[in-house]
Order: sequence, then structure tokens, then C-alpha cells
Amino acid sequence: MAGGSGGRAGHHTGRIIFRAAATLLMVAILNFLLFRVIPGDPANMLLAGARSAITIHQIEAQRQSWGLDKPLIPNQLFSYVSATLQGDLGYSFKFRGRRVSDLILERIPATLALAGLAQLIAITIGVTLGIIAGWRRGGAVDNITTGISLALYSTPPFWLGMLLVVAFSTMLGWLPGYGAYSAGAAHVGILGRLSDHARHLILPVLAVTLGLIGQYVVVARAAMSDVVTEDYIVTARAKGLTNNQMLMRHAFRNAMLPVVTLITLNLGYVVAGAITVESVFAWPGIGSLTVEALNARDYPVLQGIFLLLGASIVFANLMADLIYGVLDPRVR
Amino acid sequence: MNSAFPKAAAAILEVVDLSLDYKLANISLPALRDISFQIHAGEAVALVGESGSGKTTTAMTVAGLLSPNAKVTSGEVRYRGKRLPISDEEAMRPHRWNDLSVVFQGAMNALNPVQRVIKQIAEPCSLKLGMTRDEAMRRARELLELVGISAERGAAYPHELSGGMRQRVMIAMALACHPSIVIGDEPTTALDVITQAQILKLVTRLRKELNLALILITHDLSVVAESCDRVMIMYAGRIIEDGDVAEIFENPRHPYTRLLIESIPDPTEGKRVLKPIPGDPPSLRNRPSGCAFRTRCPSAMDICAVEVPFLEIEQSGRVACHLYSAGSQEPKVKSNV
Amino acid sequence: MTNKKAITRSPPRARAIKSFLGQLLVHNSARFGLMALVVFFAMAAMPAFLVGPLQTAINAMGDFLAPPSFINPLGTDEVGRDVLNLVVHGARTSLIIALVSTVISLVVGTTVGMASGYYGRWVDVWLMRITDFFFVIPSFVLALVITPVAVGVMGRSGDILGFRPSLFVIILVIGLTSWAFVARIVRSQTLTLRERQFVERARVVGTSNIKIMLRHLLPNLVPQIAANGALVVANAIYTETALSFLGLGDPLQPSWGTLLSLAQRAGAASSGAWWYLGAPGLCVVIVSLSFVIIGNALDDIFNPRRRVIP
Repeated sequence: MAGGSGGRAGHHTGRIIFRAAATLLMVAILNFLLFRVIPGDPANMLLAGARSAITIHQIEAQRQSWGLDKPLIPNQLFSYVSATLQGDLGYSFKFRGRRVSDLILERIPATLALAGLAQLIAITIGVTLGIIAGWRRGGAVDNITTGISLALYSTPPFWLGMLLVVAFSTMLGWLPGYGAYSAGAAHVGILGRLSDHARHLILPVLAVTLGLIGQYVVVARAAMSDVVTEDYIVTARAKGLTNNQMLMRHAFRNAMLPVVTLITLNLGYVVAGAITVESVFAWPGIGSLTVEALNARDYPVLQGIFLLLGASIVFANLMADLIYGVLDPRVR
Repeated sequence: MNSAFPKAAAAILEVVDLSLDYKLANISLPALRDISFQIHAGEAVALVGESGSGKTTTAMTVAGLLSPNAKVTSGEVRYRGKRLPISDEEAMRPHRWNDLSVVFQGAMNALNPVQRVIKQIAEPCSLKLGMTRDEAMRRARELLELVGISAERGAAYPHELSGGMRQRVMIAMALACHPSIVIGDEPTTALDVITQAQILKLVTRLRKELNLALILITHDLSVVAESCDRVMIMYAGRIIEDGDVAEIFENPRHPYTRLLIESIPDPTEGKRVLKPIPGDPPSLRNRPSGCAFRTRCPSAMDICAVEVPFLEIEQSGRVACHLYSAGSQEPKVKSNV
Repeated sequence: MTNKKAITRSPPRARAIKSFLGQLLVHNSARFGLMALVVFFAMAAMPAFLVGPLQTAINAMGDFLAPPSFINPLGTDEVGRDVLNLVVHGARTSLIIALVSTVISLVVGTTVGMASGYYGRWVDVWLMRITDFFFVIPSFVLALVITPVAVGVMGRSGDILGFRPSLFVIILVIGLTSWAFVARIVRSQTLTLRERQFVERARVVGTSNIKIMLRHLLPNLVPQIAANGALVVANAIYTETALSFLGLGDPLQPSWGTLLSLAQRAGAASSGAWWYLGAPGLCVVIVSLSFVIIGNALDDIFNPRRRVIP
């Protein structure tokens, strides 16, 4: 039996990985095709936007590596894919010929700090609230919690951010509403810098995390509600387990299945979700880079970001599928 | 053996005038009325009836597993002479599984799908009997052996087992804390006939070995004939007849019982004529006045609409029907059945 | 059913609709949602009737960034336009974009889902692979990337079917990237329905596949599509608002998202002009929430959970 289930599990895993790879390939191809559809010679556009900070050599090199003199498919596609695999995402139009990969790497930490912290807080608070609400269904507290969570879930985080800025920054003056650091923060010691950075983090993190809390509460509550009516909970009760024992030994594991999936998937959307909020707070991360590139029609950067978004989403989905396979024996 | 008169050995379970309501928004629906019976050690009693007759509710109430909107309006349940706190979760907990356990339909989701079955069997051993992990696992293996499942199969998840095996697991689990009474909630309903027979044989054997009392909920009279000593027929929340299995089958008295027995298809009859009982059982909201069965009863009389028939104690059991009055064995009026 | 009975009873469809509405209105929250939507749909249907023509920078009459007052109940923006006026007109743009793109999503999703579930085999495999892609990548991300490219190709001026090009593009893009969710649901429903007797009978009689799908399967799919359609609308509103906020909308036909973007660029947040950014955002929240609530209520009706009494 061990051998048989192992074989089935392996086959299942293989299928998931294959699907992920196929999706990633489609992301890359879409990426490639999109930006070739634009009229005009990409290399010339590079020149026009770069304010002559790139040398002719760089343009020619880019032309060559993109294979612009060769037919679209398969040659250009192939050179695009191979260049990408080597980490060459091209040069930015707007940022005076800087490498796209450098730009992206430079901005990632700020986004990770913002989105990572927001997710952590949201998961802790949201899942706990949701589980409690779902286990003890009914009553005024449950209805209010669910109502507020639904409202938060439907609220655009960037709008929430703007409101927070108006309230806490403009009107009350407690917290900064712009950027990740105050000017002159570099001159204060480490502690001062950290505290300054922390103060700048509060509002943007709040903007992102409130919506996420709403989402986690709704999903966790629904998952727990479903579990509570299941037969094995009745069995547990018949066995004489206490409420806590029923919750932790039986309900929790089963309710967590959809919640863990959601958490893993959300990690893939971390960057995408941060885009609008970073724009509100001028937070120096990938999100604001996207907006800047959008406004400047800086296609190579957009292309690089889309690849990053697509890859992280596909990867997160892959992880979610694999983890679910580990948690739920019925799927293997 | 007369079921109604007090026996020399005291009953281990006694239900006295139990009545139960379901509370919805602003109304109370009568689920059970005046349920009274006794169970003795090692006895197998069947609770038979159509869906909605209250058989499951009765058994679940006895086990203290009331649903949140159920309310006991009168009567009580006594275990070994002492009152069982069926409405109090906290107080009921020590009795659960130690004194009474339940075997649910294995085909349903009664087993935790993400936990290996041997662990689920070991759970009450460690939580309720205070065994260590190893002791509990050892006992779980013993129990699995008792029901004929190997230790390797025990490491499986519920979905990897067949319906019959899951049922055995449920039985093994139910015996974990040495209960005196086991309640079987339609344990063989979802199984094929062959598996059903195996399970019934297993249950009967275990019962005799461990001197267990069994309350078997079922709608299948053939199961009753196989494995039970006594049977109680329920209709619309009341017991309308009870007695020894042999007596009930040979000489059913209540018109409903008669129709039930006659509706069992008899393969020896020349023509394949099925005789279902006409009509449907009343819903909780629309119980007829007086005797609830009168709307479908071929022998209904005027009095049946007015008075609820009292559960008369007869020589060979009890019956609730105006056709019979206390002490007589023959019906007062010639029945039309 | 005899002819006599057919005459004296009201047609079954009307009865079904009445009972359905009854069930829907039992949910208190659904009542609130419906009421809110009625208000907003009224705004969208006749904005000029309610607040006059859309104010532009030229005919704006108020002070700059003035707080709410008797003349301007929702204050003014940075060029003196009445915010209430902008918001009511914005309702039309936002709602039309959301609804049209949802219709596109539902049509595409239902077609793909039905074809996939009904024909099965390689049709299913290939369609599902494409669906996977669109399911995994959020419509917002795809729209974010495709819209500037599409606008770049089409240009920014002129009119297409009464819409500014950028709005037209947004409608198409949202519609063509948000269908995967519906496709999956329709596919699984189709798989279940396909095995039912009435389909077998239709096939035996020789009905064409298309007819089976349209006449027999589709009507049975409507409840599921409707319940999930509400959620698709909510998602469409959110996506359009976000895209417009990032500048992909059109200031000449401003949606609520575009208004938020204008507010942001005018520094409404840092000057404390809460009315300017609060009003359009609040509208988005209310409409989005209403659709979600209605979607949940519909789901409750069409997929009833276990009853309490056994």
C-alpha cells in the first residue's frame, strides 16, 4: 500500500509542477508578445526616453540581444526567453538606461517590508478572529465582526490609505504620510533611523492590513462554519471531548485547509496588492516603480515587473497546491 | 419474556415520560412525547420507525447529544438508577463514551478525514481513560483486532477504507472506554447486504462477549429480526408498540405495526405484490389531533381523533391503540387490517 | 395537470420568481444591498436630471477645495467643481464599466465552462489550461499590463461606441480577464448536469449539441451564474477603480476611481480635503459591498445549507 500511494502522490505532484511550468511559460510568452505589439522600434524608443544617456553601443547591444532584426517567432521569442533566463531584463526607458533587473532588485526590500508586515499582522488577527467567530456562530459579536470584515474586504486599500493620511497625518499630525524615511534621517543613529522607518510604516501597513484582515476573517469564518456542521464534530462531542478539544483536535485542522491555501496564494499577490497603496504613500517599492513606469510608458520596466508578478503568483500557486497535498490526505 | 414488568435484575437505562420540543424562531415543535422504556444489561433493543418518527431523536437524547434548539420539556433519563444530566454538557461529559457510546453511520463523515483511524480510536483512550500515548495505541490495536482489522489498515485514512471497514472502525472506537450501552444509529443502512450481515454478526458476537446493551436505530425490520431481542415501534414522536421480536413479527397488534410487517416483501409469495403503507407520516408542524396515525389507519374510530391512546401494558408488551384496552389481548373492535 | 388547473393557477414561472424574491428579502442585509443599488442605479441612469450636466473646469463655479456647505453638499474639488455633481456622474461611468465588463466575463466564462464540461476530453484539457492562466493571474495585474499597450495602439482621442478609448479598453480588458472564475463553476455544474436524464433524452431524440446546451443546460446554470455574477461585478468595480486610480481612466468621463486619482494628484490627502476623496471612495465601498451581500444571499438561496432539524 505504501508503494501504491507513494506512486499516486508522485504522479499528483508531477502534474501540479507541470501545470505551474505551463502557466509560467504562458506568462513569459504573453509578456513577450504584448510589448512587441506596440508600433515603433523598441530600440529607438529606448533612445528617445533615455535622454541620450545611453551610448550607441548599448542600443546596438540591446538590439542584438533582443534580436530585433530577426523574425518575431521563433527567433525573437527565443532570444527574449534566453536573455530573461540569464537575468537580462533589458534597460529602462525612463531611468536613463539603467538595467531593469537592478531597478527591480533595488525596490523589492521596501515592498517586502510593507507587504510582509501587513500579511503577518492580518494573518494573526484575521484568522484567529475568523476561527472564533465561525466556531461560536451567531450572536451580536459575530454579526458585527462579519459585517465589518465584509466592509473592509470590499474597501479599496488605497482609498483607506488616503483616509488614514487625512486623519492621522494631515489633521492629527501624528504620523507621516509620505515616503519611507524622513529627510535627514540618515544623520540620526541606528535607533533613530529604525524608529523613523517604523513611523513611516504604520499608515501604509494599516491601509493594506485592514483589507486583508477582512478577507481572512471572512474566509476563516466560512471554513470553520462549514466544519462545525460536519459529522465528525458530532462524533467528537459524543466521545465527551471538551469544546476546546473538539476545536483544536478536529475542527481546526480541517478548517485550516482553505485558510492555508488562501495564505499561500496571497503571498503571491503581495506585490500586485501593494501597487496602489505604494502610490498613495509614495512608498519606494515595486508598486510605485510600476506606477512611474506606467506613466512614462517605460515598457521594459513594465515587462520586467509583469514577469516578476507572474512568476511570484505562479510560484505561490504551486506552493499552495503542494502544501494542500500535504495537509489533506484525500487529495493525494 | 415480558418487557414491561420490572425484572429481577435492575435496568441499566430507564427513560421515564420523556418529552422533547424543537424550538424554532417563535414556535415549539413537538418532537417526542411521553417516551418511557427500560434497557437491561446485555439486551438488544431496536428502535424502529419511518423518517421523522423520532427514533434518532430519542437515541440522541438518551446519549445526551441534544441539538442546540432542542429542549427537554418533561421526564428524565436514568442510568443505573441515577439521573443522567442530558441537558447539561459539562455534567454529561464524564458519562460520554464511558457509560454510553454511539456508533454513527460510517458511510457519512463521522470520522475525521485528515486523521488516521487508529489515532481516532486511541483518542478517547488517552483523553478519557488517561492512558499514555503508547498505551492508547496498544489498546487501539487491540480494539481493531477485535473487529477484525489489521494494524496496517489501521494506519489508513478514512477515505481509504471501504464502507464496511469504516463501520468496523466506528464499532472499535465505540468500545474504547468499556461502555455498558452502545447506541447504533442506522449502522448498516448504507452498506450492501453481505457487508450488513457481517457487521450484524460482529455486533452480536461482541455484545455477548462484552455483555453490552444495544439500542439499534433502524428502519429496516430484517435487521431487527437478525440481531435484536426487543423492538420498539415509534410513530410521530411516540412509542406505539413494543415487545419481543418474535411476538411482534408473529402477532403485531397496532395497525401501523401490522402494515409495517406486511410491507416487508416476501419472496415466497407467488405474485410480486408490494404493499406500502398509504400516505405519508405527518410533519412536525402538522401532527393530527389524538392518535397521529389515524389519518392513515384502516381501523380509525371516532375516539382516535379526540384522545391520544395510552400506552397500555399488555401481557406480551405494550401497545398504544384504542382498539385495545388494558388487560385484553384481542382488539375490542374487529380491526380492518 | 389538466387544462382546467393550468388556467386557474398562475404560471409557474411567475410563482417561482415571487417565491425567490420573498426568499431574498428575508435576508436583512440583502434588503440593504438592494436598496443601495436602487439608489445608485438611479444616479447612473439619469445623472443630468439629478444634478445637471457634468461640470468641467470651465464652468465650475465654486471655491477651490471648499469643504461641504449648503451650496456644495459634498464640497468642491481643486478647480471649483461641485463634488456631488462629479460623484453622481461618476456613478454612471463606474457602473456601466462594471456591468458591461461583467456581462462580457459571464458570456465568455459560461461559453468556455459549458463547452469544456460538455465536450470533455481534449477540448476540456486545452480550455482548462487557458482558464488556469486567467484564473491564476489576477485580472487587475493583466489589465494593468495590457491597458497601456492597448491604449498605445489605439490612441487616446475619439469615441468608440460612445466611450472614450481608454474606458472602452478597460471594459474589454476587465471583461476578457475576469471570466476564469465563472468558467470553472459553470464547468463543474455542467459536468454534473451532463449526466442527468433530461440530457440523455434530448440526445437520444437527436437534438443538436448546441441546442442541448442552450435549451437544457443553460437554464439550469442560471442560478449559479447569477449568484457568482454578483461577485464578478464587485470585483470588476474594484479593478476598474484601481486601474483608474493609477491613471488609466479618462478625466473627461470620470469614474469614481478617476475622481480618486484626481483627488490624489491635487493633494487632497495632504490638504485635508476629506470630502473630495471620501465621497467617491465611499460610493465604491457601498456598491461593492451591496453586490457582495446580494451574491452571498443568492448563494444561500441556491445552495441551502443543512437544516437544523434532522
